[in-house]
Amino acid sequence: MPIVDLKNVTFEYIRRDNEGNVDGITTAVDGVSLKVVPGEFIAVLGANGSGKSTLAKHINALLFPTEGAVYVDGMNTADEDKLLEIRSAAGMIFQNPDDQIIGQIVEEDVAFGPENLGVPTEEIRERVSDSLNAVGMSEYGLRSPDRLSGGQKQRVSIASVIAMKPKCIIMDEPTAMIDPEGRREILETAHRLNKEEKITMILITHYMEEVVDADRVFVMDKGKVAMSGTPAEIFSRVSELQELRLTVPQATGLAYKLKMAGVPIRDGILTGDELVNAIMKLWPVAK
Amino acid sequence: MHRLDPRTKIVLTFVYILSLFIFENPAVYAVAALFLIIEIILSRIPILYMVKGLKPVAFLLAFTVAVNLLFTGGQELFSFWIFTVTIEGIKRSSYLIGRLIFLVLASNLMTLTTAPVSLTNALEYLMRPLKLFKVPVHEVAMMMSIALRFIPILVDEANKIMKAQMARGADFDSGNIIKKTKSFVPIIIPLFVSAFRRANNLAQAMEARCYNGGEGRTRLNPLKYRRGDVVAYVLLVIYAVLIVLMGCFLFKAPPVAL
Repeated sequence: MPIVDLKNVTFEYIRRDNEGNVDGITTAVDGVSLKVVPGEFIAVLGANGSGKSTLAKHINALLFPTEGAVYVDGMNTADEDKLLEIRSAAGMIFQNPDDQIIGQIVEEDVAFGPENLGVPTEEIRERVSDSLNAVGMSEYGLRSPDRLSGGQKQRVSIASVIAMKPKCIIMDEPTAMIDPEGRREILETAHRLNKEEKITMILITHYMEEVVDADRVFVMDKGKVAMSGTPAEIFSRVSELQELRLTVPQATGLAYKLKMAGVPIRDGILTGDELVNAIMKLWPVAK
Repeated sequence: MHRLDPRTKIVLTFVYILSLFIFENPAVYAVAALFLIIEIILSRIPILYMVKGLKPVAFLLAFTVAVNLLFTGGQELFSFWIFTVTIEGIKRSSYLIGRLIFLVLASNLMTLTTAPVSLTNALEYLMRPLKLFKVPVHEVAMMMSIALRFIPILVDEANKIMKAQMARGADFDSGNIIKKTKSFVPIIIPLFVSAFRRANNLAQAMEARCYNGGEGRTRLNPLKYRRGDVVAYVLLVIYAVLIVLMGCFLFKAPPVAL
């Protein structure tokens, strides 16, 4: 059974003018269907305004589709009785770390989710220390979140979600406001949780570098899924990506330019190492 | 002191302050002073630090004393210009000064030995009976703790906005009070806008983490009374009885309401 199953999801914003009259309708998500298998690491790419964040909020039942249906772990998000179950099965990390930390102490924030679920005190304790361990923030349990770096705050947010024992975590541009060092920390944590704890990850982003290690990538444009496939498949279609206002990773870009210049280099190069190997193959003298 | 349950501390402080206001007689004040000194010693907060805490109210203190000293009628002690100092005035102002100092010290003691989180938790617990009158106790406590959490964030934001406006030539330092106040409008408005945006995001984040009101919530740090709290409550009862007895029978001063 897929952990997340979007069936022909359409979401429309109704824009109103100052008097409250309907001014127009914006279709933020337009007939998106996709299935996520448990344990997968999925990346959703898209430029600003492509509808990727709106889509993410559907999986956590913060928004409900105008048309179509969203199933999380077999539960329809339209079913109000299942709302809490859905939200604890599919945790959500937001962009701005400051706006999602509720506790005045790191520990208290991590405990917020389990507290809401009515978990007994001793088990909350256990979950808090386990989750802080899992993101490598155990020493910071009693600190104030204000004194942490952006990357650390975002890892606390991840711990707060893990403490609810979700099957799936949706990360909505978790690195957009974070420095490069923090960005690396967050991605490493996400991949480790995916491998070790078998938590399904859905990463929403517009940084190409971040999707290189994903299992599958969906590229969104104007509310629709424009491309889908493995990172290698996606990145072999450089010109299409550029049309969608997305920049490819440096190595991919360079390989693409070489190819355009007539060098017979293979498609789907993602990292610097791969590029070096590919060039070495073409140029045996260097060995 | 630091380890006492926050509920105990709130009740303690409340009863203590009440005791200061019900009776006005030297014996009661002596006991109150003793009680406070013992508490301060137990808390291990440096006395000097406590005294510094009085600074912000120093002006208020001086003002009340002056007014009471100079404008209380009664037996004249001496007079100068249009003022008359009376025995009653001296009595009155010394009571007032004692009352205010004790009050400020006691409440400072409470806030210095308790984390804000535990204070809001304790308030939520103590105000629970108000739920009968449909007072949203849990919501108020939640609002208080979120407000506390966001103070440093909004201060940061205000600083940022201020610098951004200064970079574009805004002037916050010159002119009279009215002009200065007006120059803060371009800070207040963006600050409000961003506060609303943050509130919206926070609400969403809370919902995403299954927050649905106070019903059925458990706690990471539930409030628990320990042996120290029992001792504190016993001491409090002894103190209260002592105060009431002395207030009613010693010096035969009738209870005075302010």
